Amino acid sequence: MGTMLQQRGLKTGEVPETYNIIHPEIIKEIHEEYIEAGANIITTNTFGANELKLKNTGYSVEEIIISAVNIAKEAKGEKYIALDIGPIGQMLEPIGTLSFERAYEIIKKQVIAGVKAGCDLILIETISDLYEAKAAVLAAKENSNLPVFCTMTFEENGRTFTGTDPITMVTLLEGLGVDALGVNCSLGPGELLPIVEEILKYSSIPVMVQPNAGLPKIINGETVYDISEEEFSKHVQIMAEKGACILGGCCGTNEKFIKKLVSEIKGKSPKVLENKGYTTVCSPSKTVILGNGVKVIGERINPTGKKKFKDALKNNNIDYILTEAINQMEAGADILDVNVGLPEINETEMMVRVINEIQSIINLPLQIDSSSSEVIEAAARIYNGKPIINSVNGKDQIMREVFPIAKKYGACVVGLTLDDNGIPSKAEDRFKIAEKIVNTAKEYGIKKEDILIDCLVLTASAQQEEVMETLKAVRLVKEKLGVKTLLGVSNVSFGLPNRELLNQTFLSMALVQGLDAPILNPNNKTIMDVIKSFKVLANLDKEAKEYIEANSNVEVKQDVQPINKGNLKDIIIKGIKEEASQITKELLKTNDSLTIVDNYLIPALDIVGAKFERGEIFLPQLIQSAETVKNSFAVIKEKEVLENKKGISKGKIILATVKGDIHDIGKNIVKVILENYGFEIIDLGKDVPIEKVVKIAKEEDVKLVGLSALMTTTVKSMEETIKALKENNVQCKIIVGGAVLNPEYAEMINADYYAKDAQEAVQIAKKIFNIV
Amino acid sequence: MINLEINRNEVLRYLGYKKGDIGESISQLIDECIEEIKKYSNYKYTYIVLKIKQSEDNIELLKSNLILEGSDILHHLKDSTMCAVLAVTLGSLVDTKIKFFEKTNLTKALILDACASTAIEWVCDEASHKIKEEALSDHDLGITYRYSPGYGDFSMDIQPEIINALEAQKKIGLTVTETNILIPRKSVTAIIGFQDKNIISIHPGCKTCNNAKWCQLKKGGNYCGN
Repeated sequence: MGTMLQQRGLKTGEVPETYNIIHPEIIKEIHEEYIEAGANIITTNTFGANELKLKNTGYSVEEIIISAVNIAKEAKGEKYIALDIGPIGQMLEPIGTLSFERAYEIIKKQVIAGVKAGCDLILIETISDLYEAKAAVLAAKENSNLPVFCTMTFEENGRTFTGTDPITMVTLLEGLGVDALGVNCSLGPGELLPIVEEILKYSSIPVMVQPNAGLPKIINGETVYDISEEEFSKHVQIMAEKGACILGGCCGTNEKFIKKLVSEIKGKSPKVLENKGYTTVCSPSKTVILGNGVKVIGERINPTGKKKFKDALKNNNIDYILTEAINQMEAGADILDVNVGLPEINETEMMVRVINEIQSIINLPLQIDSSSSEVIEAAARIYNGKPIINSVNGKDQIMREVFPIAKKYGACVVGLTLDDNGIPSKAEDRFKIAEKIVNTAKEYGIKKEDILIDCLVLTASAQQEEVMETLKAVRLVKEKLGVKTLLGVSNVSFGLPNRELLNQTFLSMALVQGLDAPILNPNNKTIMDVIKSFKVLANLDKEAKEYIEANSNVEVKQDVQPINKGNLKDIIIKGIKEEASQITKELLKTNDSLTIVDNYLIPALDIVGAKFERGEIFLPQLIQSAETVKNSFAVIKEKEVLENKKGISKGKIILATVKGDIHDIGKNIVKVILENYGFEIIDLGKDVPIEKVVKIAKEEDVKLVGLSALMTTTVKSMEETIKALKENNVQCKIIVGGAVLNPEYAEMINADYYAKDAQEAVQIAKKIFNIV
Repeated sequence: MINLEINRNEVLRYLGYKKGDIGESISQLIDECIEEIKKYSNYKYTYIVLKIKQSEDNIELLKSNLILEGSDILHHLKDSTMCAVLAVTLGSLVDTKIKFFEKTNLTKALILDACASTAIEWVCDEASHKIKEEALSDHDLGITYRYSPGYGDFSMDIQPEIINALEAQKKIGLTVTETNILIPRKSVTAIIGFQDKNIISIHPGCKTCNNAKWCQLKKGGNYCGN
């Protein structure tokens, strides 16, 4: 459509959808040309007909979409009308600032208008962000009964701009229950072939392709595409032979391309794709296939029996949870289990927040672990990708609650082999429960490859005779039901000495039985070594490549440098981060926390700060020292938590990057340095709504609020935040900073203080909290 | 595509380095970060060239709906008859990685950020070079230096229109927020005028900057390159 409109005088940057109102005859003519050429489906001129892109046109979404569908209806000839929905134009969180729910609402409006106007199907296309695809498909399916097609756009490297590969797209979209999926735009049909092949390798549902007319070239300032109708249809035919069944064109193509293609494929029937049967889970940029080697599910994000973790949940200490996630990823986990259930907190809110935060920095698929179906639904909805839900069991009630959620969001589900009578002692009886779970899932339309069975590990100390029953059940489930299995390994050793040894042995035994995904602590090297060695012996790690690599420098690693005891000050000044915790631990044996802070940390920081002011060291060195102090502080805090002491706090400070702004690094620098000086920081993050700053400042009775903005455009929202704080009579001082600010500007927007850097922020904070 | 280059001295300059010993560990970290940014970057640029119509208070880019306003951009294009509208980006993986290291190693995040800023300047230079060649070969003209929204009184409000006119989302994956922030973050848009090749156009450094009076970099004898 775009190409056709440009040929008919659409100016660069002009909103094409306005033509539905000002030049309906042109749009109708284009539709008729395509119908004449033999197209079965025509797409409405509504690619960008969303409220954001239409904002300055003077037309509403409804007006544009209804007129577009009406024009398509009026076009002569037989056809189906596809309501065309392109990308919103703004990037969703966490890459951008548009929230998932807002994106959903924007697209919902388009869908409702299209349905009202009488379109036949919904086509979501040219999407590069998987999260946007999810929002769009949900909006389409929840607000219409029409078929939904969704295609994404890929680069030559086989990924979308935001890093999604074909298998990941298939995993998400097929799970969400679209009627067809595929690729459009991107490249010419020749370049697209490998991507289409990859999609066909994994998709069990109809695949659609709409390539460009080759690659763009600029000739005399005009964009032209470089292949002919003949060449185009030759390549697209190859795709059809391989299994693509909805075909068309994108940029640079016109009705002649379609005509040629139609004439070539006339009389041929579309190839029906078989069910591929893969068990896949994904994040936006990574898909894990279960059953393809051993996949480790990290168990550490779970408060059960962990005082520090519980404390982190109660205090909204998301960084603590993120560190757990990062450590497990670095230790080799493939999937992370996420459980944040604690009676004192709002589990739904916390689960959503933790998932968003984890997904903003790491790309391992997640397993949503909760006993509440409300939490599971909220999490499955906002999760970016295809998650695992942990769990259902043989009880009818729980399956009734959870299976519809799993079906709707296309998740895998863990089924535990227990029911109202508890855990059967015999393998055969556990198998029966597994069978019931798989069969019930089927009634909800959930394929068996999306069910993972956990045959439940019992402790050898209490139920020794049943350990082997679990393993036997694993084998039965694998062989007779053909579904994937997982097990929480470390339960086996509970109550016995040298637990690691039992865990290792049990894991080896379970892997031999065909266990696909052990749930364990990946930070435990010995247990991960069992998996690495198993992979060699089971012929999974070909030529023992991974094993050799992991074990070739074992000796070097043991060469730990001797610690220079008692020299914490020097270590901070030099910024040797790695050594700070050990030395602090040593010091804590003979000193109390406050002595260490006042005699070591703060004096060292003052020296570093002075050096920075004199220009003797530069910012990275300052931060390196600050992070050294942070490590030292972490040890002190850990001790305080364990001893139930109230932590050191020299005053509570809120820090926030203001609404609309996403530049976080400056604020984070100020945060680490203020924390170093013993201030307690409530970090509200970036793009923080004005109301949130006011609310938290009031609730926490905060005396100092630090606001950061990096853009001239967002200083405006800084000003509004300050205004709101003052209007709501929050009794606090406000300090501002950021690249575009200066003392004059700060005064103009009514801030109390301006800090040019983190060091100056410390001086101001000290003054406000009367610290000498 | 040519391999991305990152000038180490530029990285140091972005980090506010003035004098003194940077130490072995930071020095190594900088080298490491330079390599990582090269790996994470998936740089792309796109541009269009349009004839322009000057008037008293604005410049109209013909065959488009772009209208440039502000005395500084008018001055910048005073000798031009056409101009290029350019957008460049390093891609979103760079943002994700910087965000990751903000949680695990702030020192590294800071250095990666500086490396990415250096890298995007290099991409801008590459694109400008290409545009310069095109101006010369197609029109026998030279070019001005790059002028971006946010310089002088050239408002950032034009950002969405530039992104839209370039179809930057479709072509290079570049978008803009409601507050005119470019996403991915390491991205730039700019206007480059085509003018008589004998006129020499040099970036005036801090003179056009609104924040010159307070700038910390400038006080250290540096300039941010923007």
